[in-house]
Amino acid sequence: MLSEIKFTLNGKRIIYQGDPLRRLLDVIREDLGFTGTKEGCSEGECGACSVIKDGRLVTSCIIPIGACNGSDILTIEGIRDTEKGECIISAFAEGGAVQCGFCIPGMVMAAYYLLENNPNPSEEEIRMGISGNICRCTGYDLIVDSIALAAKKGEELWKK
Amino acid sequence: MEEMMCYIPENLEEALAIMDEKDAIALAGGSDLMVSGANGTGVNPSFSRPVVIISNLPELKGIKKREDGWTEIGALSTSREIAESGLVHPLVRNAASLMGAVALRNSATIGGNIANASPKGDTPQPLILLDAEVTLKSVRGERRMKVDDFILGAKKTKLEKGEIITSVLIPPSSLTHCYYRKIGMRRANAISKLTISIGAEVRDGKVVDFRASSGAAGPKVIRSHEAESILIGKTLSELTEYKEEFLDAWNNAISPRAMPEYRRGTTRRMLSFFIDALSAGVQEGIIE
Amino acid sequence: MSYTKISDKIERVDARTKARGEAMYVCDMSLPDMLYAYMVRSTCPRGKILKIDVPNLPKGYKFITADDIPQKGNNELWMISKDWRAFAKDYVLYVGETIGLLVGPDRTVLKYLRDNIHIEYEMEEPAVTIDDGIASKGGPMFPEKGNNVFCSLYCEKGRPMEEVFAEADEIFEETLETGYQEHVHLETNGAIVTMEDGKFVFYASAQCPFYIRKSIAGILGISVDDIIIRQCTTGGAFGGKEHFPDVLCGPLLVAENVIRKPIKLIFDREEDTQFSVKRHPSKCVYKTALKDGKIIGMDAKVYYNVGAYLSSSFVVLQRGIFHANGVYNIPSTHLVGEGIGTNTFPTCAFRGFGAPQTIFAVETHMDHIAHHLGVDPLEFKKDYIIKQGEETVTNGHIIEEVKLPEMLDVITKESDYWRKAKEYTPGCGKGIGISMYLHGGAFTGNGEQAIIKAHARLVRTGDKVRIEVGSTEMGQGFQTSLRKIAANTLQLPIENIEYNNPDTSKVVDSGPTAASRSTMIVGKLVERAAEEMKRRWDEGDITTEVEYEHPEGYPWDQSTFRGDAYLGWGWGVACVEVEVDKLTNEVKTVGIWTSHDIGHAIDELIVHGQVNGGIIQSLGYASMEKLENKNGFFRQKRMSDYVIPTSMDFPRQFYHLQENPYPWGPQGAKGMGELVFNGADAAYVDAVERALGTTFNSIPIPPEDIEEALKKNAQ
Repeated sequence: MLSEIKFTLNGKRIIYQGDPLRRLLDVIREDLGFTGTKEGCSEGECGACSVIKDGRLVTSCIIPIGACNGSDILTIEGIRDTEKGECIISAFAEGGAVQCGFCIPGMVMAAYYLLENNPNPSEEEIRMGISGNICRCTGYDLIVDSIALAAKKGEELWKK
Repeated sequence: MEEMMCYIPENLEEALAIMDEKDAIALAGGSDLMVSGANGTGVNPSFSRPVVIISNLPELKGIKKREDGWTEIGALSTSREIAESGLVHPLVRNAASLMGAVALRNSATIGGNIANASPKGDTPQPLILLDAEVTLKSVRGERRMKVDDFILGAKKTKLEKGEIITSVLIPPSSLTHCYYRKIGMRRANAISKLTISIGAEVRDGKVVDFRASSGAAGPKVIRSHEAESILIGKTLSELTEYKEEFLDAWNNAISPRAMPEYRRGTTRRMLSFFIDALSAGVQEGIIE
Repeated sequence: MSYTKISDKIERVDARTKARGEAMYVCDMSLPDMLYAYMVRSTCPRGKILKIDVPNLPKGYKFITADDIPQKGNNELWMISKDWRAFAKDYVLYVGETIGLLVGPDRTVLKYLRDNIHIEYEMEEPAVTIDDGIASKGGPMFPEKGNNVFCSLYCEKGRPMEEVFAEADEIFEETLETGYQEHVHLETNGAIVTMEDGKFVFYASAQCPFYIRKSIAGILGISVDDIIIRQCTTGGAFGGKEHFPDVLCGPLLVAENVIRKPIKLIFDREEDTQFSVKRHPSKCVYKTALKDGKIIGMDAKVYYNVGAYLSSSFVVLQRGIFHANGVYNIPSTHLVGEGIGTNTFPTCAFRGFGAPQTIFAVETHMDHIAHHLGVDPLEFKKDYIIKQGEETVTNGHIIEEVKLPEMLDVITKESDYWRKAKEYTPGCGKGIGISMYLHGGAFTGNGEQAIIKAHARLVRTGDKVRIEVGSTEMGQGFQTSLRKIAANTLQLPIENIEYNNPDTSKVVDSGPTAASRSTMIVGKLVERAAEEMKRRWDEGDITTEVEYEHPEGYPWDQSTFRGDAYLGWGWGVACVEVEVDKLTNEVKTVGIWTSHDIGHAIDELIVHGQVNGGIIQSLGYASMEKLENKNGFFRQKRMSDYVIPTSMDFPRQFYHLQENPYPWGPQGAKGMGELVFNGADAAYVDAVERALGTTFNSIPIPPEDIEEALKKNAQ
């Protein structure tokens, strides 16, 4: 039986001792102070709290920290200064993807996951890739275009 | 705090022991339980019974084809893994691929989806059509039963104290024609308003098997063996003649509760469409 | 030095910090020794409070109620009227009404305490729907008047209706209804209060910081200057954070007065869905007099469900009436509006502010008349498009040139409307629909001068210039647009212009960020202040400040609602093409084409994003966003059951802007935020009606409602 939970967050080793049912989101935002990950719906519905856990996009509001032993977790803070993260963020800025911005860190994570697994997505695949990330401001077109722009501009990056 | 209410076993044996000792609830992907137990921002979820987090048990992972031809899906297989697996029947893959959106499909598990027994759950519906079974394990041993028997109704199952769903078993299918539709509240990332699977096996112009199951239309997945038997054994040219009788029998199986008009009307049209396609000699495979 | 020009394609100033997760929303903030607040709300739609049982509170926990309001204070929020109470006392009028605030350090404990507060009510019969309200179900809300009518108005032009209707050879009458809509700004409502140098300081997710100050000061009987509002990065608002932050900040102010420590109140999504303001449900009865196939008069009775308190509803209703003839010049018209009180959560501002309901009604009504007459709806509607100089429903005139004919040319060509409209026979499963709409920019009539009296101030330090206005960025791009206007005029690079989230103690009141007025009005003020600064550049580090001036010669009488309601309107055309699955009645939108006249765009990329977003909100409103109230309770409680569009629900939009510079706007710009919400819904319904050969009289129309309509119309 595990008595503590060891995981890495943005490459840093973390040992968590406490209620294993605590939401990964609360650990990230409140215990560790990474507030780039947002809480939108609290039920895995809107994608604002998206993070990457062991290479997979997940919504951190419905993951208990107890399920994260041995996991590698990446939040927006962990990718924003990487070449790939910067590629997406620049494309979002250039392409007009950002309005109120609340969904955007999660959207960037979804785009990152998409491009990591599909370096050259079609429009349909991009729309599918962000269909779990609700945005109320943009109507999505410019987000879709921005992700396509990131795919194009970072062509070599995403093949790595 | 009071007594420890959550446990993280490192293997199945430990998990079963603690499940039994504490009369606990198993948490797999968390996508249902973490919502039902939620207490808001910064307040840890709570449950009426102790929780055992089984998310990382290696014994419950993986999808494989067994020697007897059945497909065995580890209970912790996620919707994404199922949707991507060539070993899994297309109807189940379809349902898994349309569950929620990307992130949810990366965490929701098939075991959790069945144990949760939500009328709106996506995977039980095609599983029931395929006569799939679940394997249940506890310290007392192992048992197997059809998913259709396991799920009793909305949020009700035959899961006993200390039991965990360890795998889902899908028998080999000889269905030649299949149809799947999910009608959600929107085109993606949606809870189902209605789902349907229809399958038929046609051999030499004769319907040797016919099945339909429908989800989100009542307290549990609807399957009517009585209605099915109306079409089984008929030739393709006889289908039109028996169609109305079959549709009426199906109609009677649908719950008269929420949105009955829509669910009845739509189910009837989809079944009718499939039967007409069969009558017209449509090609084998997934009918769209 | 190269400077930023209006035509430059630039990056939004806030894009990177937001995308990097560095922008601080109020939920991201934390102050030393901060406490948390949980709202305790009414679970009774109408009744007397008999008893409030509060469990023993541990040390450090407080339950704040109306009883904590000091003697010199009043238990009222001053929005437009003062009827909405900060805390319910003695009686409740709707489910979700604030009864108290539980405040303390540990949210687990607060949650436990909240779950264990028991309130006993003597229940009374609630009025929930507009019809309930009209019938004064459960007894009139205003016993002195004997009804539930919060507010009413009428407008008329042309000849008397009796006369016109007597001449008609046919009268086409129908009732059109729209449902509730929830804003679903991705960031829920929230605020933090603290003390600084004896003043009450709020950090809030808000559109209108100055509104909050004005609204809540009276609760403690203090001066507005004793309160400082600092807007945090705001994660979407759409009207939902126009007056509603008052409902959080009022009780927080009372709590802070007692506790004197930082207190944070953040709604979770379920609270925000069930217990926040909504768009007004509407019921419109349109009667149109036809003679020889032509409209000779139109009579409309418009009801909006106001909920239990007035908030901004009278103004919303006025907008509804002023837009109730849509883009059409109907020779004689009579429009009556009533705001009906019910025991439901008060409805308030939502993008479009009352115009979407009547525009949906009139567009759909016009389509139905066309179908009835057997002519193409667009063919029919275009003959009535109002022109420059023609009389509006408020007996004013359209001042600008109306470019709708040019816009229709673009849209019908791009969408191939005329071919498709002929080819898609009624009921064939495919349909194309088209709508036209408008939105009056800024406050109605002379409201900018008489009510708002907006100011803007610029402060120069070396080669940097700071804009000091109370207008807010909530996602619409104003921090970028406004800086661009200033940079363009001052001939500076945009990096040299500073414009931060406002702090009411540091900026001047430029009026609310609402009514599509920010670019048009505040943008112009900043442009004027910048022009002056440019002229006086040699004077060094100076401050310039200007006040709004209304152009001469455009009278308005707010007591009779007569005159030039708006100096500039935004105009729009939306075309939507759909395919309906006949098995499931699922509607697939396959094409969206829009054209908008917003004067001149300050930043085309920002405008593009606004258009896209507004159109999808409108299509969500028409198709899937169903919010029902049963017995005073909203049935949809979260984002999984109140669904809004995803990236997969609607296709890429064709987007066109019609140039039509507005003389009184900065660089020719008019308002646009609301316009783009106002008409796609009607185009969608038109398209679905044609695809199915049926008629709808209400929105939204999810598949199950389409099924019902088909069944009903088949009978």
